[in-house]
Amino acid sequence: MSYSVQLFEKIKEYASPKEISWVEAKTNGNIQVLQTAFVATPRFVSKTIISSTETINDVSINGWTLDRLVRVYLLTTLDSSDKAIYKKNLDTLFETAENNEAVALISALPFFAYPDYWLLRATDAVRSNIGLVFDAIAFQNPFPMQHFSELAWNQLVLKCIFNGKPIHNIQGLNERANQALANSISNLAHERWAAGRTIPAQAWRLVSKFMNDAIFEDICTLFVSQNSNDNIAAALVCSETDFFAAKEELKNHQELQNKNFSWATLEV
Amino acid sequence: MCQKHSEISQNPSHFEGTAEELVTSKTVQANYADYTKGMKFFDPHIHMTSRTTDDYTALIDAGVVAIIEPAFWLGQPRTGLASFKDYFSSLVGWERFRSSQFGIKHYCTIGLNSREANNQALAEQVMEILPLFLYKEGVVGVGEIGFDDQTAAEEKYYRLQLELSKEAGLPVQVHTPHRDKKKGTELSMAIALEHGIDPSMVIIDHNNEETVESVLDKGFWAAFTIYPFTKMGNERMVEIVKKYGSERIMVNSAADWGISDPLAVPKTAALMKIRGISDEDIRLVTYQNAIDAFAQSAQINVTDFETPVVIDQSLKFNGNTVLRGGQIPRVDKNSLIIS
Repeated sequence: MSYSVQLFEKIKEYASPKEISWVEAKTNGNIQVLQTAFVATPRFVSKTIISSTETINDVSINGWTLDRLVRVYLLTTLDSSDKAIYKKNLDTLFETAENNEAVALISALPFFAYPDYWLLRATDAVRSNIGLVFDAIAFQNPFPMQHFSELAWNQLVLKCIFNGKPIHNIQGLNERANQALANSISNLAHERWAAGRTIPAQAWRLVSKFMNDAIFEDICTLFVSQNSNDNIAAALVCSETDFFAAKEELKNHQELQNKNFSWATLEV
Repeated sequence: MCQKHSEISQNPSHFEGTAEELVTSKTVQANYADYTKGMKFFDPHIHMTSRTTDDYTALIDAGVVAIIEPAFWLGQPRTGLASFKDYFSSLVGWERFRSSQFGIKHYCTIGLNSREANNQALAEQVMEILPLFLYKEGVVGVGEIGFDDQTAAEEKYYRLQLELSKEAGLPVQVHTPHRDKKKGTELSMAIALEHGIDPSMVIIDHNNEETVESVLDKGFWAAFTIYPFTKMGNERMVEIVKKYGSERIMVNSAADWGISDPLAVPKTAALMKIRGISDEDIRLVTYQNAIDAFAQSAQINVTDFETPVVIDQSLKFNGNTVLRGGQIPRVDKNSLIIS
């Protein structure tokens, strides 16, 4: 079953007969009909919340509104055989997108043909200051994990940390952890600490495999922090790393050992 | 607002209140908000792209819960289609989001303004992209369109956009000219009727004492812009409501990049209250009538701004959660320390 068909099957679970026939009618027309339908979807389709543990093409649609799901489905019915025309049709929608349309377009990136071409749209969504557009690329979206360069990936994760967003909702968070990102997190922490501010404790989960002397110093700082979440993060990093000094340091914090916590404890 | 009472007493106008009212209104200046406690407002004409975050904070504090930002010109003519496209996009994109961060529901009207209709080569291109924006969520009308210099080109694009509004089933927000206003207003209404548009779908904006009667008689909505020096003052507005009542009348600020007041609607409500206009009439002209007129677009859901703001912690603005527990982080304007 193609992804497009799977999306439509999911729509049928939530949509009324009237909504379903509207969607069907719009996918049988020409490109202008489809583009207009994409824009007008909320006029004909409700914002019922989808509750589903399934993924389609590695995309989790849980918590989406029905109109968002319909919009993504409409985009998957575009004919991609002529690359130039396909790109032009989608670019028009991107360039004129209202916020909820932008969210649908970004959510649909994993379904688009010619993924390399859409990289700039994806990294522009990371640059966006519109929270919901940023979230559409950051969360429930496998596109960054699959296509971002290390630089673009690190920018996404750092911006999440910087803005206090839930990094555990980023797909591929652990798989794509890397040394440069660990170093950047350390640097960000130094800047924040110098200003009397903090970073979310769970950010430190990304340094365990990339410990060095500098990061180890940060971990020691976390152990003496007044914030218990920082202490927990320090203990979790030390229990995960192979870095000898960190293993030794953990022995100095009996109170944090054999406790029943994990990174999930720090996920906010 | 720009009236001098010394001049009025020498040459009394028909809209001067009683001596008692005058005294009250002169003594409340700083605490006028005491008179609007518990009221909420809808400003159906305000250009927030030209305003600061301080204005957003002041608006929500004053009880303005929803606004409409009409598309207009930016003080200088645009030179290409892309600037129009980006401007329209910002009205349904960044500005809409920015407003939401202050708990204010932001709608807009989309249209080719009268001044720039005179650049016909560009106007043709703008007309082509308008339908892309008119059907978007939260676009509550075609606007602000109409006449400025009252040229043939202005008339041409006004007519074309009236047709667009019919097709889309959207209300029309009509800008009336600064110069030769009465004639321009009459012409705008006559053309709308000629195109078979129901006057109940048309909001004639920037009315004054000279235009209001004809607008109401013909069945159109009459909007009044409270804008210092060049448009209506709110004392005059109070007299209008006293004389014509509250049916199909609404008040807006049209605050923009000029010397204008984003709080014109709540301030006018306070003055109406002080001068004895009923709470129900105040509610109609500063809130409900604008909703009734523009909700004909089917794009206004009052629960979006009448129920307490739903706090979504995932919506962050530049690293700050502006909305947290419904509270907007405050900056003490008098504090030397910025932290």
